[in-house]
Amino acid sequence: MSRFVLKRLLLSIPVLLGVSVVVFALVHLAPGGPVRVMLGPLSNEELVRQIRLEMGLNRPLYVQYGMWVFDALQGDFGVSWTVQQGTPVTDIIVERIPLTVELSILSMITAVLIAIPAGIISAVRKDKPADHAARIAALSGISIPDFWLGIILIMIFAVQFSFPWATGGWTPPWVDPVANLQQLFLPVITLGTAYSALIARMMRSEMLDTLSQDYVKTARAMGIGAREIVLKDASKNALIPVVTVIGVGLGQLMNGAILTETVFNLPGIGKLLILAIDRRDYRIIQALILFIASVFVFANLAVDVLYAYLDPRIRHDGN
Amino acid sequence: METNMATTDQTDEAVPAAQAPGTHHSQFEMFWKEFRRNTLSLVGSAIILTMLLTALFAPFLAPHDPTTQFEAPDGEHNPMPMGTEMLVENDAGEIVGTTTAYLGTDHHGRDILSRIIYGLRTLMTVSLGVVGFAMALGVTAGAIAGYYRNTWVDEIIMRFMDILFSFPSLILAIAVLGVLGVGSTEYGSFTLPNIVKVIAVIGVVYIPSFARVMRGSVLKEMEEDYIDAAKSLGASDRHILVKDIAVNTLPTVVVQGTLYMGTAVLASAALSFLGLGIQPPNASLGLMLSNARGYLYSGEWWYSVFPGLVIVVTILGFNLLGDGLRDALDPRNDGGER
Repeated sequence: MSRFVLKRLLLSIPVLLGVSVVVFALVHLAPGGPVRVMLGPLSNEELVRQIRLEMGLNRPLYVQYGMWVFDALQGDFGVSWTVQQGTPVTDIIVERIPLTVELSILSMITAVLIAIPAGIISAVRKDKPADHAARIAALSGISIPDFWLGIILIMIFAVQFSFPWATGGWTPPWVDPVANLQQLFLPVITLGTAYSALIARMMRSEMLDTLSQDYVKTARAMGIGAREIVLKDASKNALIPVVTVIGVGLGQLMNGAILTETVFNLPGIGKLLILAIDRRDYRIIQALILFIASVFVFANLAVDVLYAYLDPRIRHDGN
Repeated sequence: METNMATTDQTDEAVPAAQAPGTHHSQFEMFWKEFRRNTLSLVGSAIILTMLLTALFAPFLAPHDPTTQFEAPDGEHNPMPMGTEMLVENDAGEIVGTTTAYLGTDHHGRDILSRIIYGLRTLMTVSLGVVGFAMALGVTAGAIAGYYRNTWVDEIIMRFMDILFSFPSLILAIAVLGVLGVGSTEYGSFTLPNIVKVIAVIGVVYIPSFARVMRGSVLKEMEEDYIDAAKSLGASDRHILVKDIAVNTLPTVVVQGTLYMGTAVLASAALSFLGLGIQPPNASLGLMLSNARGYLYSGEWWYSVFPGLVIVVTILGFNLLGDGLRDALDPRNDGGER
């Protein structure tokens, strides 16, 4: 098992290096380079030359890349240019992490709590009303964009019923945990819905596969109750591929977080990214993209390891 | 946004490979029989057909020009509610008549129904472009990697795909647009139109999915005897790749493309919603929703509800169609719905 983990860990290094090259190249190979990114198309040549000199942008690209990666590895992404002038980029990002992490974790828990039972019931009651209802709900869930769902929820809860907590904003949990959970209620529903629909669809399909397998039929023939089979054996086996979907769906969760934070005006990572783009703060953009892609890579790594732990065949094949 | 991601991690298993040549006709008949039995797939097809026709004939179907700003009658203000009789002005600014805003107007007094119809046209163009772009590049890369399997060519292509795959779909698009800036980009004398840029940045993250499916299909196809036969007859690599393998694996890829349409529509609308996609005054459903957010608390509900509904129905249509196609082609299918 440890060999498998080590191998997977080593394999992610070239991917992360590649990601860093893409992120670096994005800014430096854009027409005009970083200075143009910062100043926009309306800047005078003399100013551009001066800034390039001051920022060391006239050095060879590989030197600049090396310096950037070296600093980045120590958590140094320079200081912000326009979002919070003079503040280290890392500080700005770290300050916004708790909200996005809280939002994502709560949404993921909500999604799993809805999706796993829904998927199981749907499979066990295949082609019965409960199955149809669950499938239509799941299909709607993956078809409704989270940003529109958020707007509709605001319209119902904040405008129609005037609940004061429904208007957005964020209070840190260590300041007021109750207000914090109230404010995150609608964003979590918004973000969790699409995610749960994705998992429920997968869970149903895997559960149907498992239920049609020989050992389940044998267990039934031996007189073991259907309830016991479903809860003890079949669900456990069907859960294995679902772990992967939860992992692969992380990308969706991150995309959704950006949109949800925008709709509900939550000062998290996603909102920061949009703000940085709006203000052309390329250092924040660079750092955030690298950060988000790294989290994604490591999350997938964690999912692979979990998958191997659940299904021994994988780690033996891997070795 | 990866609503159909469930299929991507299964690569070649996601969509069954095409059948050997010669059985094509009967295979298609079987597929059609299976597809037709599923009411939901037919509903999906009907929705998509309607949406495509609406997008195609937008200039004939839209009651007004999507950019015309109408005047509100006395006692009304923009956004005007549904069914308001808007005032029509001539070039000199004189009021010459009235016309009905069936779905109300936006904050500039533009007819929402007309903007939805034109917005749908934009959305369809971008989404089809995204899938087409990703399909073309992904299929080419996947076919080459599969044909030269386990060589350095395969290795380089697939590792590059891994890197592209490391970005959550919207994030890379947001990053590229954030750096290049929104709107069209000038490269010397060459101008890259905004819509092409939007299509490319959304499409690039779907390339690996197509490449993986294609590579898987090619690997499977390479095991077939007819490839050995063609090789011993002296057919060139290019000939085998293009004439034999590509033709046989194409249906697989087309189904994969349909499965991705829903995701592409979602991503295009999301990018517009964030203000990074299609720029005003062009009509865009995502942008309409973004603007409508400013009118939530003043009670102008029609501004957010209708554009959103059209996006939902479009995505639902593609998902129903995609599910139906996949089920009809799935050999594990026992005839019923899965």
